[in-house]
Amino acid sequence: MKKSSTVLFETIYHKHKPMVLQMCLGFVKGDNDIANDLLQEIFISVWNNLDKFKGASTYKTWIYRITVNTCLQHIKKKKKERTFPISKMENITAIAKNENVTNPNIQRLYTAFGQLKKIDRLIIMMVLENQDYDNISEIIGIKPTNVRVKIHRIKKRLEIILKNSNNE
Amino acid sequence: MNSEFNELLNKWEDNKKEIELSTKSLNVLYDKIQKKEKENYLFYYGTITILLITLIVISLFFYYVAPVKETLSRIGVFLMISGLIFRILIEIISINKARQINNIDKTLKTIESTINFHKFRKTIHTVVAPIIIALYTIGFYSITPEFSIYIKFWNLVLINVSYVIIGIILFLVIRKGVKREMQKLKDIIALKNDIIE
Repeated sequence: MKKSSTVLFETIYHKHKPMVLQMCLGFVKGDNDIANDLLQEIFISVWNNLDKFKGASTYKTWIYRITVNTCLQHIKKKKKERTFPISKMENITAIAKNENVTNPNIQRLYTAFGQLKKIDRLIIMMVLENQDYDNISEIIGIKPTNVRVKIHRIKKRLEIILKNSNNE
Repeated sequence: MNSEFNELLNKWEDNKKEIELSTKSLNVLYDKIQKKEKENYLFYYGTITILLITLIVISLFFYYVAPVKETLSRIGVFLMISGLIFRILIEIISINKARQINNIDKTLKTIESTINFHKFRKTIHTVVAPIIIALYTIGFYSITPEFSIYIKFWNLVLINVSYVIIGIILFLVIRKGVKREMQKLKDIIALKNDIIE
């Protein structure tokens, strides 16, 4: 890949990584290891498809699309099946320590997301990221009116889940 | 509901600020990208290479080492080799279908491509693979009579018994593959329904 593409990739990475990582964490109920695996998969996809970006949407919308698709296609790996070379362990441990500082409040939120359907988790997180109906519709591939109905239902469901968790 | 949602929004934004950037992770990512490229290359060309080598070895074997003379044996060789060529063609189609699953497409389109891919894989496991195995088996047993002239009886028995054992193992592998594809299909169709409902 050209140097200009590498620079572009690194810019995209630094700009959007917190948003992507947070969506991954929300998708996998706050599991740091799986979220980091997903984050890597997403940016590998970004890297591999960077030359296919046509500019029809913003990079942000494009990355949301890759994030949503990668999360939905993610096959849950058993933790014990994951092995890393020892040389990589130091780096990975450092990342885990530095990057995924989650407070109990947000962990509660991730757990609540975990009780939603997979697609609903991703939609509500896009709403939290201030994405409008048209953008979400563009990412998912359904009509904006359907998106609106879905969001309304998800919010209601989430409200019930959070209320129940408050009562526990 | 709005105030609660605003509270959610605040929590969400606060947490995002806590997720810090690290240059180390970018280095890890570059390593992973290289590894993934190798894996993809192996995924796309590994099986085809193995099948092509098998095809070449079998063809050379029947051409130089054991050139069969009887018509039945020749039909057998033809069936075995055509089964393998058919298998290679199917693998190429399967790879193309896998490549059509693109993460940069709209989610619904990606899911539809994934469904198509797994439906195709299911057809391979339930229809194509048994046909190929049947062709190969008929071919194998068609050359056995001529081989029996040149090979000792017990060696021939050993070859035939081992073929049956391999057949049983293949059957179990295919059955496992069918179950896996069925489960994946079920999950993805459920996901599609969740999206369009």
